[in-house]
Amino acid sequence: MAFYLQDQNISYGDFTVLSDFSLSIKKGEKVALLGKSGSGKSTLLKHLFDLQKQNCSYIPQELGLVNNLSVFHNVYISKLDENSLFTNLKNLVLPSTKYKNDISKILEEVELEDKLQSKILNLSGGQKQRCAIARAVFDEKAILLADEPISALDEYLSDKTLKILTSKFETSICALHNVDLAIKNFDRVIGLKNGSVLVDKACVDLNDEDRQKLYYVCD
Amino acid sequence: MMKIDRSCIMFVTKNLRVSFVIFLVGFISFLIADLSISTVDTSLLVQDFFFSIVKLSFNDYSILFEAFLNTISIAMVAIFISAILGFFLALFFQNMLVRISLSFTRAIHELFWALIFLQIFGLNTLTAILAIIIPYSAILAKVYAEILEEHDTFPETLRGKSRISYFIYTKIPDAFPHLVSYTLYRFECALRSTAILGFVGITTLGYYLSSSFMQGYYHEVWMILILFYIVVASVKWWFNKYTFIPLTIASFFYLDDFSGFNWDNLVRFVTSDIVPHPIRNDLGFDKTLAWFDNIFSNEILPGVFNTIVLTQLALFLTAILALLLFPLVSKKFFQKPTRLTSHIFLVILRSTPEYILAYVFLQLFGPSMLPAALALMLHNGSIIAHLMGNETNLLSLRPDVTKKRNEKYFYEVLPRVYNQFLAFLFYRWEIIMRESAILGILGIATLGFFIDSAIADFRLDKMFLLLLITAFLNIIVDLISKKAREYLRANDSFTSCGCSLK
Repeated sequence: MAFYLQDQNISYGDFTVLSDFSLSIKKGEKVALLGKSGSGKSTLLKHLFDLQKQNCSYIPQELGLVNNLSVFHNVYISKLDENSLFTNLKNLVLPSTKYKNDISKILEEVELEDKLQSKILNLSGGQKQRCAIARAVFDEKAILLADEPISALDEYLSDKTLKILTSKFETSICALHNVDLAIKNFDRVIGLKNGSVLVDKACVDLNDEDRQKLYYVCD
Repeated sequence: MMKIDRSCIMFVTKNLRVSFVIFLVGFISFLIADLSISTVDTSLLVQDFFFSIVKLSFNDYSILFEAFLNTISIAMVAIFISAILGFFLALFFQNMLVRISLSFTRAIHELFWALIFLQIFGLNTLTAILAIIIPYSAILAKVYAEILEEHDTFPETLRGKSRISYFIYTKIPDAFPHLVSYTLYRFECALRSTAILGFVGITTLGYYLSSSFMQGYYHEVWMILILFYIVVASVKWWFNKYTFIPLTIASFFYLDDFSGFNWDNLVRFVTSDIVPHPIRNDLGFDKTLAWFDNIFSNEILPGVFNTIVLTQLALFLTAILALLLFPLVSKKFFQKPTRLTSHIFLVILRSTPEYILAYVFLQLFGPSMLPAALALMLHNGSIIAHLMGNETNLLSLRPDVTKKRNEKYFYEVLPRVYNQFLAFLFYRWEIIMRESAILGILGIATLGFFIDSAIADFRLDKMFLLLLITAFLNIIVDLISKKAREYLRANDSFTSCGCSLK
């Protein structure tokens, strides 16, 4: 089991967003969270992250990139804890070839390889999202928690990056609001509306009524 | 009792209320303040002074050159050390003890610090450098801490265990350009501060300025002032990332006179000189109380009163001047030629230290609050006008906005920037207070006057008490200003844009 929540109250600040909330996610599941902004997706993801910081890569909605650093360094940040201060300082000034190669490979997959040395502040919204995704992939954790990681990408790139996000991690939980992409790329969808679950099914079991509900929660 | 129309009250907003208080206190201060002109025939002196500008010259250029080198290298070494100290202190700024002690050292003007170190180390470079370093590292620490806090896009939840690595990767890169630009701005301030240290006898520009003035060599005064403007205005061309390391090293070598350090003097100063003499001589509680009472009623009360009167008057005048001047540098009101001329005018006003302006006016008008109030008004008013001009340039008005200037000013521009204006004013308030106290050295009965006379009488215990009061007053003003900005909700990030603010 990756996550198991039973009748929990989950709050954002002082405000309880999800009450009496239950959810279980098995290892290896690829789950899409669907719902409008304010439905409780972000609060849920943040809560899941706090439960298992050690095993999760987390992409928050605001991405958390350092604007004045290059794409290379922003991706490298996920390895700060693993390396010594000396190595980190060295890579800040003179990136090692090994790391450059490793990171370039990941950037190639998200079609950002030409931006290795560009500063984040010179990137577009979509490029920033892909950089944050590369950081999560480089982190090499078992679980991915991503909060609308593809909202600024076109259809082709959305599809491509979702494939990466579901294949590079044992377990993936992504908040999205595109129903079709969710059904196409994930095993299981959860539709949230005002803090309660309207749909929670494996994609293969979805009937027309469920689909209607999913479109409804995302409207 | 007059009936108040309720519909009128609805238009009374928070910033109008605040402005009314500033106006009222300023007006009362105006009525109380002694603004008399005591020089006999001012017109001749003024004429003489202003006409000397055409006869620019200096008696001995090698002395002048040395004074400039001295001023620049002291400022450079001092800002270098302050930046390092300030950065380390900024890392511990969350600590209450650090925060309180820094707000205390910040509240005492560099000229006062110079007067203190004069007693300990004598008249030398060490005194000058320490006098700059102590308040400047405290100011830099505060602003560095704010900048580091503000320019941080990395979420707290993602921060891992290696705190230093995360600090270097996620905080420094975004904050770095702002740290540098603020430090550069502070270097300009350090140049001004070092120049005025000359007024207490250190051989920087202020020393030659005051001696030329006293001898009536006004052409020399102008020469020094104009060269100083050129040095300050050209800072960005000669002090940049390529030159700062060699220049700082050169400055260290140029300033070789650090011989004044005397450990015994320092110990004597801290353990004996500044201890109230009834306590030092064990005269008992009654005598101590009498000592304090005497200083309290004869010096602290009038000193604090006059400092507040001068501050409030200057604040009010600053506000008026800024409101009048800012359209002159705003794209919304004037074409390029007017703006350019006004810019030069404002640059000159704000690069002249208040202390020098006050000194000049004092020679022209004689001792009263008038010279000090004028100096504070011109210096601070021009800074705020400059910031407001920049602020209005960022506004986008609709294309069919009125062409009438006055209407545009009152209906379109001023309402949009007024909150910002008040925030600028509150930021300058603490600085005006610091300066009002220090201008006492020139003979106006603010706290600085009593501190200066205490030093002249070698009553260092009294000096120390008065300095504590001055610092305390400043801290109170700082707190009120913070509350007022919160009340106006005009507190959003200033450190990045308004570097000339603090």
